[in-house]
Amino acid sequence: MNCVELERLLSEYAEGALDEARKAEVERHLAACPACAAEARDAAAAVTFLRRAERPEPPPELVTRIVFQLTSGMAQRQQRKRSWLNSLGVFLEPVLQPRFSMGMAMTILSFSLLARLAGIQVRQLNPSDLDPVKIWRTVDDRVHRAWTRAVKFYDTLQAVYEIRARLRELTEEPGPAAGPGEEAQNGAQPDKKK
Amino acid sequence: MDPESRLVARCLEGEEAAWEELARVYTRRVYSMCYRFTGSDAQAQDLTQEVFLRVFRGLKSFRAGEGTFATWLARLTRNLLIDHYRRSKLERVTDSIEDQLPMLEGSGATASRTDGLLSEREASEIVQKGLQKLSPELREAVILRDLEGLEYREIAEVLGIPEGTVKSRLNRGRAELARVLRQQRVLA
Repeated sequence: MNCVELERLLSEYAEGALDEARKAEVERHLAACPACAAEARDAAAAVTFLRRAERPEPPPELVTRIVFQLTSGMAQRQQRKRSWLNSLGVFLEPVLQPRFSMGMAMTILSFSLLARLAGIQVRQLNPSDLDPVKIWRTVDDRVHRAWTRAVKFYDTLQAVYEIRARLRELTEEPGPAAGPGEEAQNGAQPDKKK
Repeated sequence: MDPESRLVARCLEGEEAAWEELARVYTRRVYSMCYRFTGSDAQAQDLTQEVFLRVFRGLKSFRAGEGTFATWLARLTRNLLIDHYRRSKLERVTDSIEDQLPMLEGSGATASRTDGLLSEREASEIVQKGLQKLSPELREAVILRDLEGLEYREIAEVLGIPEGTVKSRLNRGRAELARVLRQQRVLA
């Protein structure tokens, strides 16, 4: 037996796991080779010492934690399988948080207050209210009405300014003979007529 | 079907009690490996939890015909430990043994005890400190064989190396450990 062959048997020799024939063969080589003998001594001493070492025990709460982790994971997995709605819930999870829910609630409240102030009647919605044709007609009607109202307002405003201008001309007609007192009176008159 | 395979099958069927049993049976072994490798109780606890989380997610990938569940679990644990080792900065404690000698001599002078007088707990602590001086390759071979009692074939499977290499690493690991223990004067 040479040193390379001994290397293959050394680990089992150190453990005392070799049969008698192999063991005798190894010991013959060790008697003739001081380097291998030293290595074998070290290996055997290490094995003996390692066998004396106590096995480290995990703290009991670790087992409890792992059991909880596994069983809760199991429960979650089963719950997830139960309904596709849960997967939707998982998808929407980042949005469905208290702060976002509060934000949404405040937005709805603000819009409802604005709608109330604007005189929009809140009533029960019917399926027919969601008909796109009906929605389009309503919006179109509202837009046309608003446009007509704006045009009328503009025309009325124009007429008012024209009348005012005409009145101013009439009151200013008396001419340069009028004194400062009269001018002051004339200046105040259009306001009264208004 | 052996009890181990039956337990795994029950877990795969989603039986909650089976998962609980699996945790109770294997936590000790996984924790022991993690603690021996890292030398830290807190890290060992975190890593043990992580191992079981990976088992929970990846148990489907275990094939009963390709080896025992215990070997599969040991491989998973070992891979996690190596990942953890690479992430952390443990390299500094695996400096050459020679660099550590002055420090070891110093601690050995105060803790000089004869081998026969040490309790199992003290021996365990000394082994723990000694293991931290070994390189990860040698350390894992020694842990799996001498502390976890795996067969050479199983260790080869866990580490993904031939049996001859396992034996060679084991010889080197034991020799280095013996040198460390001698420096601490716990070995004659």
